[in-house]
Amino acid sequence: MASSKSRSAQVDSPREIANKSDQGNLLRAIRMALEVQSATIRFNTQDHNRGRYSATEALPDYDALKDRARKIKEQAIAHLPDLVRELEAVVRGRGGHVFVAANAEDACRYILGVCEEHAAKLVVKGKSITSEEIRLNRALEAAGIEVAESDLAEFILQIADEQPSHIVAPAIHYSRERITALFKRKFQTDSPLDTGEELTKFARQRLREKFLRADIGVTGANLIAADSGTLMLVESEGNIRMSSFLPPVHIAIAGVEKIIAARRDMAPFLELLAASGTGQKLTSYTSFLNPPLDDPPFAMPGKPRKTREFHLVLIDNGRLRMREDPVLREALYCIRCSACLNACANFQAVGGHAFGGETYSGGMGGAWEAGTAKLENARFSELCTGCSRCVTACPVRIDIPWLNENLHERLNHTDESSAISGFLGAISSAAEKDTQIPSAKIFFGNFHFFAKWGVRLAPFSNAMAGKKFARIIMERSLGIDRRRALPAFSRRTLVQAARELESRAGKRQETKAVLFADVYTNYGLPERGLAALRTLRALGVDVVVSESIPEGRAALSQGMITTAKEQAGRAANALEPYLTAGRDIIVIEPSALAMFRRDYCHLLDDKDQFERLRMRTFEPVEYIVRLLEKSGRRAMEIFDVRRSPVGSRIFFHSHCQQKTIGCAAPTEALLREIGFDVATSSVECCGMAGSFGYKKDYYDLSMAVGADLIQQVVAAEKDGGPRALIASGTSCTEQLHSGLKRPVQHPLELLAAVLKT
Amino acid sequence: MAANQSLPLADLFLMNARDAAATVERVAASPAAVFKALEMTTKGARSIVVATGEWLPPEILSVARDLPNVIASPSDEQLARADAGITEAFAGVASSGSICVALGTPLTAAASLLMPLHIVLLAARRIVARPRDLFDGECLGGEGLQRNLVFITGPSATADMGPLVRGVHGPHRLHILLLE
Repeated sequence: MASSKSRSAQVDSPREIANKSDQGNLLRAIRMALEVQSATIRFNTQDHNRGRYSATEALPDYDALKDRARKIKEQAIAHLPDLVRELEAVVRGRGGHVFVAANAEDACRYILGVCEEHAAKLVVKGKSITSEEIRLNRALEAAGIEVAESDLAEFILQIADEQPSHIVAPAIHYSRERITALFKRKFQTDSPLDTGEELTKFARQRLREKFLRADIGVTGANLIAADSGTLMLVESEGNIRMSSFLPPVHIAIAGVEKIIAARRDMAPFLELLAASGTGQKLTSYTSFLNPPLDDPPFAMPGKPRKTREFHLVLIDNGRLRMREDPVLREALYCIRCSACLNACANFQAVGGHAFGGETYSGGMGGAWEAGTAKLENARFSELCTGCSRCVTACPVRIDIPWLNENLHERLNHTDESSAISGFLGAISSAAEKDTQIPSAKIFFGNFHFFAKWGVRLAPFSNAMAGKKFARIIMERSLGIDRRRALPAFSRRTLVQAARELESRAGKRQETKAVLFADVYTNYGLPERGLAALRTLRALGVDVVVSESIPEGRAALSQGMITTAKEQAGRAANALEPYLTAGRDIIVIEPSALAMFRRDYCHLLDDKDQFERLRMRTFEPVEYIVRLLEKSGRRAMEIFDVRRSPVGSRIFFHSHCQQKTIGCAAPTEALLREIGFDVATSSVECCGMAGSFGYKKDYYDLSMAVGADLIQQVVAAEKDGGPRALIASGTSCTEQLHSGLKRPVQHPLELLAAVLKT
Repeated sequence: MAANQSLPLADLFLMNARDAAATVERVAASPAAVFKALEMTTKGARSIVVATGEWLPPEILSVARDLPNVIASPSDEQLARADAGITEAFAGVASSGSICVALGTPLTAAASLLMPLHIVLLAARRIVARPRDLFDGECLGGEGLQRNLVFITGPSATADMGPLVRGVHGPHRLHILLLE
C-alpha cells in the first residue's frame, strides 16, 4: 500500500495494472477508473443496458430462444472433441486449413508461419478478443509485421496501448473528447478531429488504404458450425467483412468453444446476440461465411493476383481443462454478448480495466481469466457482489454469481489467513474448511453469529460502533471502512417480540404461513417483521414466526461454500415441518428469499427439497397480492392511503435479487393500487450489496454506485417535494440512509400503517 | 413467409428498415420504374458498379447497366474508388428491416461493401418474417442454409468515437428499392 500512496498523485496507465493477481493492482485500477473513466463507461453501459431491455422485450419468444441457445451450447460442449474433428474434415474438404492450437504460443507460431509463407508485411485485423488472449499483435510485431487494427475501438486502443475495457465495445471508456486529445497527440495532423464524424472519417481514410494493401486479414468468429464450416461474424462497421474479403489470405481465430453442431443451430443466436449485446434487432452486419470464398481476392496495381487461402486456428489454451471443471465448464457456454457487463452496477461504475484482467472483464471475465490464464488473475471477480442482475440478462442462462462465488472460494484458500481467522471461525461455527481464510470473510460470512451477540450486548454494541477507536480496530482487523455507519442492533429480536405479541388470529384459519425470522430482520430490523405479522393477520392469515437461523447467504457471498451448504441444509430441514403442516413460508429479506428460490439449487443435495422450498417461499408483499387476488378483495377495501403517516408521495427502490426472482413488481403495483404516488429507481443495484459497501477496499466504489440511486431520488423529488423512502432490502436501506440521511421504511411498514382495521 | 402475408410483411419491413436508418422506396417491378428510381438515387455518382443478379427477372437488373457512369468491367482499383454499388437482395427481413445479400455472383460482395452508397433491389415476395426463417430448409428453396450470406441492417455504423456515427468502413447510405 505504501507504493500506491506515493503514486496517488499520478494516475496509473491501464496496461500497468491489468494483471489482477496482485490485489494492489485491483485497488489502483478501481481508483484510476473512478477518477478518469467512470462517467463515460456509465453513460455507455447504461445505454446498452436500456437497449437490451427494450430489444429483448420485443422478442416474442425471448425465453424459448434462451432455452434453445442454452441447449445447443450444452450439447456442443458435451460433444466438443467430435465436433472439432468434424469441423476439421469439412474445412479441409473445401480447401481450407485447420490448426488446433494447444496454447497461445502454438497459435501465434502457426499464424507467424502463415505470414512468413506469404512474406506478409501488413496484417489487417477485425476485432477478436481471442487474439488479445493469445497476445497475437505482440508476436506479429516482434517479427516485424505491421498489424492494423481496423475496428475503430481497437484502433483507438492500439494507439493508446491499452487493453480492452469491454468485450464488445473495447474502448467504451473513451469519451469523444479523450479520443480527440489522443489523436491530436499521436498523429500530428491538420485534419479536424472535433466530432465523431471527423474522427471516424480520419480513421476510415487511414484504414481503407490498409485494407487494400493488406497481405493477410485476421478475424475472430462468433460461432462456427461443425457440419458446414460456417463462420458467424457479427459487426457494425464493415471492417470484418473487409478483413475476410479483401486480402488473399483470411485467418480466423476462435476458441474451440465457439463450435456448435450445425449451421441450422445458428438461428436462435442471431437475434439473441444482437438484442443482448447492443440492444439492436440485428447488428449492421451479420455474415455467414463458408470460407474460402469463391470470389477472387483483391489485387491493387503492383500486387500479384493470388488464389484465396483460408486458415482456421482453433484455440484450446485451457478450454478443454475448463470443460472438465464442473464450475468453469459453464463459462464455455458464454457467447460473449456482454449483457452481464452492462447489467452490472459495479461494472457500470468502473468498467473492465478495474473489473477485469489482461483480457477478459466483467461477471464472466473471472472464469475466463482463471481458465485461460491462472486463478490468481481472477481476483477482480471480488467485484461481483452476487447481486444477480446478470442472471436474467444472460442469453444462455449461466448462473454467473455462482461461478464467481466458486472463484471466491478457490481464491480464499490461496489467501493468507490471519491469526484471528481460526479464532473467529471456531467461535462462529464456520465449516472447518472455511476457517483458514481471511478474517474479514469469516466475520461477514458468519454475520448471524456476530449479530446475535450484537443484540445481546445492545446498547453497548451500538455505542461501540460509534467510537472512533473501535472503528480503527475494526478497520485494521476486519477491513471495515470507518466512514461507513454500522447498522444498529435491535435490543429485542423479532422472535422475542413476536412471542410477546400473541397471535389474535384464530387457529382455524384457512391460510397458514410461517414468517422466516431471517438474520437481518430478526436482529437488525424486527419492526418490519412485526409489520408483516400485523398485515398478514389483518388479512386473516394464521402466521407464526420461525426460529432465527442463517440460511447461508452471508457465507455464500464470501465464497464460504461449505459453510453455506451446511447452513442451507439446516435451514431447509428446520422449515420442512412447516411445509408439512401446510404453512407457506414468508421471507422478508430478499437476499434470503433468493437463496430459497434460486441459490439452493446449488446448495441442497436433495433437489426435491429445493423444489418444495422454491414453490412455497414468498416475498411478503407478493404473498399479500396473491391473497387479495384469491379472495377477490380489492386493495382499497383493506388499506387506506389517507392513514399514511408519511403522506402519499413515495420513492420505492426494489432489491437487486428481488428483481431477479421476479418479486419487485407486486410491491410497486400494490402501492399504486392503494393510491400512493410511486416513483421507482431504475438502477440495477444500490451498490451496498451486503458486506461489499462496508469493506475498506471497496467503499469508494460502493458509494460511486450508490450515487446513481441517490440522484434518482433527487430527480423524482423535483416535481413537488420530498417522497418517503421505501426499500425492500437491508443493504438498500443502509445505502439510501447513508446517502440521504433520512428514514427508510420497508413496504410492509407502510402497508401496516395504512391498514383500515 | 407465405405469399398472402407479403403485404403486411412489406409494411413492417419498410418501417423497420427506416428505423435502422436505411432509405426505402416502393417501386413497381417494371424496368422503366426501376430505371427511373435508380437514376434519381445515383444522381451525382461518378462511378457505379452493378453486380450480377440471380432471382429478379433479367430485364429488371439489366436496366441498371444503362445508367450513366456504370463501369462495365471494373478493375479492383476502380472498385475500391467507386461511388455506388447496385446489388440484388436474396431476401428481406420484416422484423429487423434487414436485407440479406447472398455472395457468390460476380461483384456482389464488392458492390454491397466498398462503396459509400449501396443500392439494393428487393422483391417484396422475398421478405420473410424473422431472420431465423432463412435457416429453415423450406424457406426460399433452402438456399439460406447453403450460401455465403450477409444480413445488412442499415448503413455501417459505430459508437466507438463517442456519439453514434453512420458510415464507417462499409456503405454510408443504404437505399432499398422495394419491388412490388
